[in-house]
Amino acid sequence: MSVTTLTAGVMSREDLARLLAGPASEGQLTAPVRVAPEVVLFVPVRDPDAITLDYVNSTVPPKEYLFPRAEKILGWRGSGPQPELVLPPEPQPLVLFGVRPCDLRAITVLEPVFGGPYPDLYWRRRRELTTIVGLGCTEPGPYCFCVAWGISPVAAPEADLMLTPLEPPAAGGYLVAVQSAKGEELLRRSGVGLEAAGTEPGVLRERRAAELTARFRRLIDPTGVERAAERLFEHPYWRELARRCLGCGICTFLCPTCHCFNVIDRTAPDGSGGRYRCWDSCLFERFTLQASGHNPRPTRAERLRNRLLHKLSYHRTRYGLEGCTGCGRCVAACPVNIDIAEVVADLKGLMT
Amino acid sequence: MTGNPLWPHLATIVKIVDETPDVKTFRVVLDDPGARENFRHRPGQVALLSVFGQGEATISISSSPTRRDYLEFSVRRVGRLTGALHQFEEGYKIGLRGPYGNGFPLEELRGRDLLFVGGGIGLAPLRSLINYVLDRRDDFGSVEIVYGARSVADLCFKEELFTVWPKAPGVRVYTTIDRPEYGWDGHVGFVPAYLAELAPSGAGRYALICGPPIMIRLVLQELAGLGFPPERIVTTLELKMKCGIGKCGRCNIGSTMVCTEGPVFNLARLQALPPEY
Ligand code: SF4
Ligand code: FES
Repeated sequence: MSVTTLTAGVMSREDLARLLAGPASEGQLTAPVRVAPEVVLFVPVRDPDAITLDYVNSTVPPKEYLFPRAEKILGWRGSGPQPELVLPPEPQPLVLFGVRPCDLRAITVLEPVFGGPYPDLYWRRRRELTTIVGLGCTEPGPYCFCVAWGISPVAAPEADLMLTPLEPPAAGGYLVAVQSAKGEELLRRSGVGLEAAGTEPGVLRERRAAELTARFRRLIDPTGVERAAERLFEHPYWRELARRCLGCGICTFLCPTCHCFNVIDRTAPDGSGGRYRCWDSCLFERFTLQASGHNPRPTRAERLRNRLLHKLSYHRTRYGLEGCTGCGRCVAACPVNIDIAEVVADLKGLMT
Repeated sequence: MTGNPLWPHLATIVKIVDETPDVKTFRVVLDDPGARENFRHRPGQVALLSVFGQGEATISISSSPTRRDYLEFSVRRVGRLTGALHQFEEGYKIGLRGPYGNGFPLEELRGRDLLFVGGGIGLAPLRSLINYVLDRRDDFGSVEIVYGARSVADLCFKEELFTVWPKAPGVRVYTTIDRPEYGWDGHVGFVPAYLAELAPSGAGRYALICGPPIMIRLVLQELAGLGFPPERIVTTLELKMKCGIGKCGRCNIGSTMVCTEGPVFNLARLQALPPEY
């Protein structure tokens, strides 16, 4: 995807507060906040001072603002024989500030899932109502490997406004790329003006990207790993790896591109109720368990293989897009150190 | 919410037939005339039925698209949702969305001799195609139906099986039950064994099979022996589905989504998939 930059220019660090002041006062701002010493989350923010800029990435990806953990998709009154269907509540406009390039790429990864011949109106409505302000990185984290998937750590086309910090630490202001009408509108309403960048914006960004890329510690080359789906499907590797998997599903809940969901009905005592879709995980035994008792993925080996090959192969086969963005969250959070970057290297090793 | 693929249409149950002790066929009519007009399915496709408060279940459409006044679903009572549905009466409303999936390859089947092999409730998706073929009788060659169930009581669609289909031109029906039963003078034995006895030739013929996994496995062996090439053996898979539209991630076999690319596969395609179904 190519970046459509309508305008680009520089704004100061102080301007950032002005940019976000409007949405914050209107209760529409969601931004990273350090809620515990090691935990940064995207949460609704009324006071822009609460925002942290000192984070590698949020502990939980901001995906949930487009695809909530639990979302009412339909309601009804009077269940039983004569129900009357009612619309779920309409989502609210949102400004999502501080989204990193890996999580921005995840939006592109998810687009064909929620689009296609059966467009998902819930996803689409939230996309329309959300203005995304991307924030380029200043330092790769110990588990980051976005660059392996061809992601620039400082820019991404999915943001409505893309902010690239100009000097580390982000004190010297931002290069701002206006990438959509929504981005333009946010900027216009804030009254923040952009100054011409001394250097051509593209060159500035490339330079920052190159400096950062040199500092990545996890270097993998995933080229060709998708062939493992055909060549290594029945290899004992998966059973070996799955021996230590707990099936906890943390990796799926922290993944910016996981989209599996369950659909659950809830009924109130008066018979009214609602249908909710909730995040689910292909690592759970019941995910594919059929009413007959048959399970096509009966053990953790099949389930872990499914998750990893989905990221490394199936998504690409279906949609021509890499399913992993290298955010590193699953690697950091897995209680038994199952590391998708290592898996890439292992699979490639087994195929040579 | 028009254009929302997850939004069910309301449909009214107009008739319920008790097929077996645990299978009922629900004949339903979509409430909205526009939705009724737009609902065009192919034999072998599925729909998601809602029992509000219990969720949704993927059920194959057992009526033929040539009979456009209604849709039929034959549902076995296996869990909470289907249990609740079995309590429903005529006049009750359910939700319905679909049709989903690929359906049987009608273009390919045109003009061919057809062998249907079914076991138990597995006759439901085949029934849609059988009635389609009978309603367009001139478009297809001969029809043989080999069908079995545990007992006489467990045979589905008895009226069609014993009365309607055998009378149709160019149709032969072979019915079997697993164990001898008082009053049954038909064939006794499992479907694969009966098939071996009947030994229909695979020359030019298509086989369409649906039933319990063990039956399918044994029938596939028989068919290979009878000279049916994998391209002319067609079956339908039943995987757990939640969305029916390729989003919930539940029904994949490798990179193939059964809900949108299946549930109908020929054996050649099935053999090319990773063995995870
Ligand atoms: S986080 Fe680790 S242990 Fe938990 S399910 Fe994922 S791979 Fe298995
Ligand atoms: S049933 Fe949801 S992806 Fe197939």
